[in-house]
Amino acid sequence: MATGDAFFDGFLDDYFAESEEHLSAAADALMRLDKSIGHPPAERAAVDDLFRYFHTLKAISAMVELRPAEELAHHLEHYLRAVREGECSVTTAGSDALIEGTRRLEHIINAHRAGSPLPPIEDVLARVAHLVGTSGERPAATSAPEDATETGRRWTCRFVPTRELLASGIGVDLVRKRLGEIGTIVEAAPHVLPDATISFQFTLITADGVNVVERLGGIPVSVEAETPPAEPGAAAAEPAPAGAPNAAISHVVRVDLARLDHLMQIVGDMVITRARLADSLSRAERHVPAAEWRAVQENALASDRQLRMLREGIMRVRMVPVGEIFRRMPLVVRDLARENGKRVKLELRGQATEIDKYLIERMMDPVLHLVRNAVSHGIEPPEVRIAHGKSPEGTITLSAAAVGDLVTLEVADDGYGVDEEAVVNKARQAGLSVPSGPLDAAAVLGLLCSPGFSTKEETDRASGRGVGMAVVKAMVEELTGTMTLDTDPGQGTRFILRLPVTLAITDALIGRVGAEAFAIPQGSVREVIEIVEADLRQVEENEIVPYRDGALPIIRLSRLFGIASTARTGRLHVFVLGHGSAAMGIAVDRIVGQREIVVRTLADSLVRVDGVSGATDLGDGRVVLILDPAVLARLTNQRARRVIPDAAAWGRLPA
Amino acid sequence: MVRASLQAIESAEFVEASTGLEAIEQLAVTRMQLIVLDLNMPDMHGIDVLRFVRRNAHYKSLPIVVLTTRGDETSRQTAKEAGATTYLTKPFAPQTLAQAVRDLLDAAVEASPRA
Repeated sequence: MATGDAFFDGFLDDYFAESEEHLSAAADALMRLDKSIGHPPAERAAVDDLFRYFHTLKAISAMVELRPAEELAHHLEHYLRAVREGECSVTTAGSDALIEGTRRLEHIINAHRAGSPLPPIEDVLARVAHLVGTSGERPAATSAPEDATETGRRWTCRFVPTRELLASGIGVDLVRKRLGEIGTIVEAAPHVLPDATISFQFTLITADGVNVVERLGGIPVSVEAETPPAEPGAAAAEPAPAGAPNAAISHVVRVDLARLDHLMQIVGDMVITRARLADSLSRAERHVPAAEWRAVQENALASDRQLRMLREGIMRVRMVPVGEIFRRMPLVVRDLARENGKRVKLELRGQATEIDKYLIERMMDPVLHLVRNAVSHGIEPPEVRIAHGKSPEGTITLSAAAVGDLVTLEVADDGYGVDEEAVVNKARQAGLSVPSGPLDAAAVLGLLCSPGFSTKEETDRASGRGVGMAVVKAMVEELTGTMTLDTDPGQGTRFILRLPVTLAITDALIGRVGAEAFAIPQGSVREVIEIVEADLRQVEENEIVPYRDGALPIIRLSRLFGIASTARTGRLHVFVLGHGSAAMGIAVDRIVGQREIVVRTLADSLVRVDGVSGATDLGDGRVVLILDPAVLARLTNQRARRVIPDAAAWGRLPA
Repeated sequence: MVRASLQAIESAEFVEASTGLEAIEQLAVTRMQLIVLDLNMPDMHGIDVLRFVRRNAHYKSLPIVVLTTRGDETSRQTAKEAGATTYLTKPFAPQTLAQAVRDLLDAAVEASPRA
């Protein structure tokens, strides 16, 4: 939705970002509500949270004049208010209606963003109205009359605005915001004092033991505690200790990703400059007296360290908890399980694991796809599970963990497992080439992810959004990650996605072939080995060496890129990449060392070369090509299956 | 958007308020010649702001231009009764708003020729 008005567009962007946050938090609270129906304290907490989210959504939707969203949020809020006031209780039907309402709200907001027609809301409104039922339509005022069932303490807070206060940023909106963080504002009204001064009066309800004055932190608001009539003793409640709960105060600043990208780019340039400086220093060393040199060296080392810290600091800013992806999953699973007549429990692990914002945005759909697949294809219907001696309720586990520079995302289910034979048959039917003989997990995964494998499934609503396994794999590879499959027939299936924590700057191993240097992301290198050329066996078009218990196909970069090798006779250095049948070795003349590199993607299709993901600058001005392990792996596989019979196709040179 | 259409009026200073309470706060701390009030606000209904302002003897004659998306006669009547000087239904041309504001300001200067 571009209105052409920069101010308003910025405003809308804020609205979208903010509503997304509240919707996601609401989805979370809905799940809690769903589980806690009939368990008063937890249910109450979820209802309170939801009430707040819908209230905010209503308010911000009103600000951007998105009427249907405002109206829908208003009705959801209205229902929750009725629940809070004890007029009705939450039922499964109620929880369903709230879920549907939240989803419709999300659709409306997304449609508004895309500029497409808004979905209708009447059916949801009718559902919600039915829930509130005979209790009657109450006018929704911001100053809802409060009944005595509200627990906690009541406060009357008065604020008198002045020009001076406003100039220093203290205005009624700030007061309202602070009070809203301390407790629930049940009434806010302006008053005119006899001398024509205007004051604002807020009625606030807080948890017991909250010291409002202290929490206001110097904002001039007169605060009076109201004595709860029922228990006069409680009025003298001791003021809260200094360490009172302050979870409500938000210290979060929202920053446009583009600004962080810009900072990151500057740091990237600094990394290169620093490397150049190191180079110049080493040449200058012999001209500098030793004592002076030590000082230079110390400063150089300190700036190195600080630069690394700066880089890590900026990267940390870009990191968000994986929980952001996970949060929406429970709703998806719950719905899909109902639709498919299955019983599924979703377990989330490692939600606090942090990953780059850029990556998380791109992983949302792939993870969603894997989860949907797990529900619709992985988990068996309850009867089948019982027949196999399993619990009727299936479990899907979504977990994340950080291992060094990698983040592992796992989607596991305890269902059927992948039936290799069925996959092979289906692949043959789809006209895909299938390697003969028993397949390992990597080969099965390869088939599952082949474009054209899952055509039939795509029309199935469960697979959703047209993201097939092929797209999942493509996205993982684009993010320089890998995907593996681990399955046990009858026991379950586990998809493991390994992704770099962040892009842009990474540690890499540098190898040399002839005069050319190549960088390979360290995260994808499993092992570095040295082989004797005589051990290489020619099998069809592949060269392989014995490795562990099997054989490792070797790609010689000198041949791949047509560069004259200057290796010491008979010895090659090999980077081992990948797992199982996807494992391969990249042979270079020698390994130069490990460096921090700044990745610049070769986005220009004229410059793109298969197997090369980008270029970097080691600081001496020479360009180093960064190898793309995923594409190299695909090249070897294709070669193994003789999809590219023409060996000359390998000789394509980087431009 | 409202602000942009008012930019045409030279020699005027603007203060903005994004909520009803803020609008009232601005009224308290600034000497205003005119208010452009959008009935649609996040915290309270614009009509309530209007009524509050009019209840206050000091602001009985302050010109208030009310903006709203509702064009029906009842809404118009409600706004008039609450004290709207002029009532504009969205969408309107920017010039319409600017002209309405100019007219009201001119009228106010004629009524009390102070400076």
